[in-house]
Amino acid sequence: MTRLGGVDDLFAPPGNPWQPVSPALRHLRRTVLLIWSALGLLAIVVAATVFALPLLVTVALLVVLLSVCAMAWLLIGRNVRFWAYAEREEDLYIKHGALFRELVAVPYGRMQYVDVTAGPLEQLFKVSTVHLHTASPGTSARIPGLPREEAARLRDRLTSLGNAQAAGL
Amino acid sequence: MTEERPFRRLSPLTPLVRSFIVVVAAVWASWDDLLRGDPGPLAWMLLALLVGGAVYGAASWLRTKYWIEAEELRVDTGVISRQSRRIRIDRLQGIDIVQPLVARLFGLAELRMDVAGGGRGEGSLAFLRLDDARALKDLLLARRDALRAKGRPSADGEAAAAPTVPVPTPARVLARVRPTTLLLSLLLSADTLVLVLVALGLVVSSLLADSWLGLSATLPVLLGLGLVQVRRFVAGYNFTVSQTDAGLEIHRGLLEVSSQTITLSRVMGVVLSEPVLWRRLGWARLDVSLAGYSSSSGGQEGPAASTVLPVGDRVLALWLARYVLSSLDPEAPALTGPGPGARWAAPVVHKYLAAGAGEQLAVSRHGVLTRRLHAVPHARVQSVRVRQGPWQRRLGLADVHLDSPPGPVDVRARLREAGEARRILEAEVAVTRRARRAQGEPA
Repeated sequence: MTRLGGVDDLFAPPGNPWQPVSPALRHLRRTVLLIWSALGLLAIVVAATVFALPLLVTVALLVVLLSVCAMAWLLIGRNVRFWAYAEREEDLYIKHGALFRELVAVPYGRMQYVDVTAGPLEQLFKVSTVHLHTASPGTSARIPGLPREEAARLRDRLTSLGNAQAAGL
Repeated sequence: MTEERPFRRLSPLTPLVRSFIVVVAAVWASWDDLLRGDPGPLAWMLLALLVGGAVYGAASWLRTKYWIEAEELRVDTGVISRQSRRIRIDRLQGIDIVQPLVARLFGLAELRMDVAGGGRGEGSLAFLRLDDARALKDLLLARRDALRAKGRPSADGEAAAAPTVPVPTPARVLARVRPTTLLLSLLLSADTLVLVLVALGLVVSSLLADSWLGLSATLPVLLGLGLVQVRRFVAGYNFTVSQTDAGLEIHRGLLEVSSQTITLSRVMGVVLSEPVLWRRLGWARLDVSLAGYSSSSGGQEGPAASTVLPVGDRVLALWLARYVLSSLDPEAPALTGPGPGARWAAPVVHKYLAAGAGEQLAVSRHGVLTRRLHAVPHARVQSVRVRQGPWQRRLGLADVHLDSPPGPVDVRARLREAGEARRILEAEVAVTRRARRAQGEPA
């Protein structure tokens, strides 16, 4: 098997196609990134004036900030493009990650509860995050950037399936 | 209900036990003054504090009542603001009896109840006379079983009858760890090995550099690590595993004595550990993950709480593992290692990785210094994950994790060829579904 083939196999859709998350998540995360970068820029400018930093140091700091920002910008794009979920008959598949990629399969019968959250910025971009909890803290089953209606639908479906298949420990 | 409830009280010695250290310190500090009949201002202040404390303690004792009402254990406490706790008996996961050193001097014990979905402090009753604590524990467990039996559709009316304290069947001792064995095992553990090596390295480098600064700077850390081993010895002293009606019972402790019951249905998986120096002696250690144990206490409970055997013959440890897993054998599944590509991801470690799945169990083995065999029944797996870092992606490898409830158990197939990793995931998802069905649990 070729190397590429193996990689593609690893995150192939599980029977039914992957549902992507909303592109609004990309805008949301890039907005957050820009806010932090602006704060970083401000901090550098203030430090440069207050401590009278040499020009070289200031430029170096700016370059570091800029390259970190650019890297994060690209990673956010990759991350959001990769993030997807697939609802199956008896379990939910989620894949996510940019550098470290992960695919998690959560059986509905193992779900303890489902959270839907939307922070202030998420509300601005009209998206929510759905978080599935099992008895294991290792389960990292989170789907951010779902349009509100889709998040509500998913939560209702998951809770009804979870109730139908309610399983204790 | 207007008549007085048949409530019960804690031991009247409770306030004394709780503040024993303070009382002793106060008395010791002002003893001379009192004997001379010329108490100074400090002694008077301490005396006033003691009297105040005694009054408060007595009031607190008077106000604390507990009784069993219908399906709940109720505990009323509080002097100024009153509290009433209700502990649902059918949700009791397990009950431990703990005797801290001072309580032990007075023959008292604390009853710690592990309640599903509750904090640890919530289910504590301190202090009772040891016999009372044992009787209450037996009564609560019998009552819980009766309640659970009643809840089941197939239960006959018999179970609903008022439960009485069952005739305690004598516990059958399965294993007992001799103090010398425990001491030797701690001396030979990987932790001690690292500790000694680090200390030796520091001493040598200090001698060479003719400066003791490095050693004196790290001395507190070394002492702390040494103290951890001492505490392990104290906690595991006289470790006894026995079989009772309720499950596995574990007694241990040198200063603080505790007795813990492990209901077999709560066992979520096992870990068999063999530090490198134990292998010659054929020793192993057995830990289990318990449902609702460390998860309910907010991570306060250390791994010691789920140790079934701190050290013992490997055969014995395996036998106990089979016992707690209801005769599933963690050594039965054939294990396979990762492919040759794994050597680029983990040059040394990859040789020590192996994983496999049997009919009922998923098993993996890893660890260089301490070889650990992790096993989890398919029916207990919470979710299945595949993980791939950037370097692994280059090599076309991935890790498979089986998520279990909080605890030491962590079954994973590391550094598998990517396509194989995905096949493992799909196979595990299918087999866990079947296993849950077979257990009568919904999928």
